[in-house]
Amino acid sequence: MPQDPLNVLWVEPTFPGRLGAAADWLVRRRGYRAWFYCHTLEPRAHWPASVGRGLEVQVFGVGGVARETAVGWSRALERSLCYAYGCWEVLEQKRPRPIDLIVGRSAGLGSSLFAPVYDRAPPVVQFVDYYFHGRANDLADEAGPETPPAYFHWRRSTTAIELLDLEQAALGWVPTEWQRGLFPAEYRDDLLVLHDGVDTSRFARLERDGSPRPARSIAGRAIPASARVVTFVARSLDRLRGFDRFLTLAEELLRARTDVVVVVTGDPIVRRGLDVAFHNKDYLGHLTAARPPVDPKRLWFLGAVPPSTVADLLAASDLHVAPGRVYPVARSTLEAMAAGCVVLASDSAPHREVIEHGQTGLLADPADADGLLRQALAVLDDPAGHRPLGIAATARVRQSYSQDACLPRLAETFNRLALPGSGGGRP
Amino acid sequence: MNVLFLHDAFPAQFGRLGQELATRHGWKCTFIVQSLSSCPTPTPEMLQAVEIIQAPMTAEHRTGEGIPWPQIYGQFLDQCRSVYEIIKARPQLRPDLVVAHGGRGAPTLFLRDVVDCPIINYCEYFFATSHRDISYRIDLPPAEPAPFFPRCINAPTLASLVDCDAGYSATEWQRSSFPARFHPRIEVHFDGIETSLYRPGPAPRTIGEKSIPEGTRVVTFVSRGLESIRGFDLFMRAADRIARVRSDVLFVVVGGEEIHYGWDKLHTGAPSFKQWALSRGEFDLSRFIFLGRVLPEKLAEILRISDLHIYLTAPFVLSWSMLNAMSSGCVVLGSDVPPVREVLRPGENGLVAPLFDVEVLTERALAVLDDPAAYAPLGLAARRTIEESYSLEVCIPPLRDFFERVAARRKSR
Repeated sequence: MPQDPLNVLWVEPTFPGRLGAAADWLVRRRGYRAWFYCHTLEPRAHWPASVGRGLEVQVFGVGGVARETAVGWSRALERSLCYAYGCWEVLEQKRPRPIDLIVGRSAGLGSSLFAPVYDRAPPVVQFVDYYFHGRANDLADEAGPETPPAYFHWRRSTTAIELLDLEQAALGWVPTEWQRGLFPAEYRDDLLVLHDGVDTSRFARLERDGSPRPARSIAGRAIPASARVVTFVARSLDRLRGFDRFLTLAEELLRARTDVVVVVTGDPIVRRGLDVAFHNKDYLGHLTAARPPVDPKRLWFLGAVPPSTVADLLAASDLHVAPGRVYPVARSTLEAMAAGCVVLASDSAPHREVIEHGQTGLLADPADADGLLRQALAVLDDPAGHRPLGIAATARVRQSYSQDACLPRLAETFNRLALPGSGGGRP
Repeated sequence: MNVLFLHDAFPAQFGRLGQELATRHGWKCTFIVQSLSSCPTPTPEMLQAVEIIQAPMTAEHRTGEGIPWPQIYGQFLDQCRSVYEIIKARPQLRPDLVVAHGGRGAPTLFLRDVVDCPIINYCEYFFATSHRDISYRIDLPPAEPAPFFPRCINAPTLASLVDCDAGYSATEWQRSSFPARFHPRIEVHFDGIETSLYRPGPAPRTIGEKSIPEGTRVVTFVSRGLESIRGFDLFMRAADRIARVRSDVLFVVVGGEEIHYGWDKLHTGAPSFKQWALSRGEFDLSRFIFLGRVLPEKLAEILRISDLHIYLTAPFVLSWSMLNAMSSGCVVLGSDVPPVREVLRPGENGLVAPLFDVEVLTERALAVLDDPAAYAPLGLAARRTIEESYSLEVCIPPLRDFFERVAARRKSR
């Protein structure tokens, strides 16, 4: 199938956000020209290589309710429309062209909703990550009777921007089958299921089969050769990614084995609004205040780190733990697999799609703390015996979740959509 | 059966239906509404047959000014919350079925937490991003929200639609306005026209103080609001031409000056589209009677003396007024757009003309007025169409069956 170079307008609240890496790959590997319109720039350490070399980044402002620091739940769509309008204003002013295709992602904020207004409308591909259910998944599974009705009202109403985006898209794009299944039945058949891909070239094991393990260091700190490194990686240390569960497990591991070093990366401040109890609060501080660490010298908190540090950490890991709630598989989990880590994850539908227990990783009932501990200790007791899991995990990611596996298919899809007579882009 | 109806207003689409279900079939019908409407005005029989719970008015209804377009979804959520709280406070309601009107989204979004029964959405309409409904009148000066509002106006409709158990639209065309993916979920059931009220026959030829001589030809135009989407300005232009050709024509216009759809205030910069339209021509207003809104009984009398009823909608939800006119045996000249064509078959039970072609409109209108007897069969056929396919008697039994089918899903769950 053809994968011709295309002119693509990308719209996402943050750059690189989720789509920046895919845009970069298409620029570098398929000759695309990309305009990436965003509201917020992440630190340059996170920017991909092609910025300024085929990938132009344009920031747009927002007005109205989107400028407020906190927005009531019933005004979430109004805020999204402010983002969409802010994007449109800069598009109207800059008028990048030609544009063969628009790719948008709302990410709970704004979107490409108004982007097609400014010109003859090219087809829109909408990347959608998540569709909230009123009383299921993520943190809703554990919401108790004390939870105010407004929380559930918000959950039931916050999908409006996704629905609008999908209605105006030529194609909806979702990373996994589990995520596709979250959407109303009427939309599922029209969703392309394709992961946006992990850059596997960034991840490699330090040791090679049959050769001694090289010295390990993380963020400038040397790790004793005999140490067993247990890792947890998340954008922020929150309940959604199971940081509370991890901390409990980590304490037990530190007690059980004196050679364990636990390394955690992630912002201690909870950034996801769906965790209403701890949003913008220091969840790490909350947990450790209630229960001080057993051995702080062996429990390292690195905070938010650049991608290169995550790669170093995963390369040094003996056991990577992903005990998150029912939520889309974290990119860090796939990266850990790509890095050849033995991954111990919570046994949930999204994880089961990626990890086959006993083949490409381990799954454990998150409610069974003893079971989780038992499996973790088994890995640490016998790293060599569990190596095949890490090797198979790497193969699994390379085959199904790497950029080189996923993005050529994406380029074919874009080709079909953008070029006349392509016959449409439904998967 | 215990049915809970949700609607902005009473009686609107559900009042007569609730009355029929209660009186003929013994159903308990409860309504949660924001306001008692005068379009049409509820009858004492209707009020006796059903229970009405009044919900707090939304900001838009309180002020009558509308709200900025980016806030429409927030307003919808306020309405959803209000309905949720009303039902939560009345655990004795225990409906077997909720039927909710969704002109701009049925306010059902939070009901799953307080009722355990299927929810039916009245799927009135799904707005287009262009070339239909509020985006159709590109002949008018551009309005700032025009490129944006149509891309988000459907948010309430979508949110409630994906959550409902089933939906129904009044006409095939209204159903077809929804994305194809939802069509299997939406049936077509018309609300039902009261053919005993809107019927052909003699009627007093007086309107207010004014009596209308026998020889005078009466041309009627009816719309809830005299606005662009219903072609009021185009009607005035055609009427002006007709008046200049025939001195014996009186134009009777029913409808308020409020704007219900679109951006007429922004298009024109005038507070009243009616006044704006009138200011754009040299009309002989002595040939017109503007009645504002009238009671259904009065409207029925007016339609009975109509020699020609003109209905000039853009492609949008078909108005009851056109079907009321057909039921009254009027010769209807409608705009040639798909929703009109679904009911009105040119040359068979009415006439059509291109919406913007005032010359053809005038020509066809004059042909009718020149020889009413020759066109009378169209009026008779129109009446038959309503009796056979759109009357309350015909429409309510399948609608009742539909409700029962959906309500039974709870039992089978």
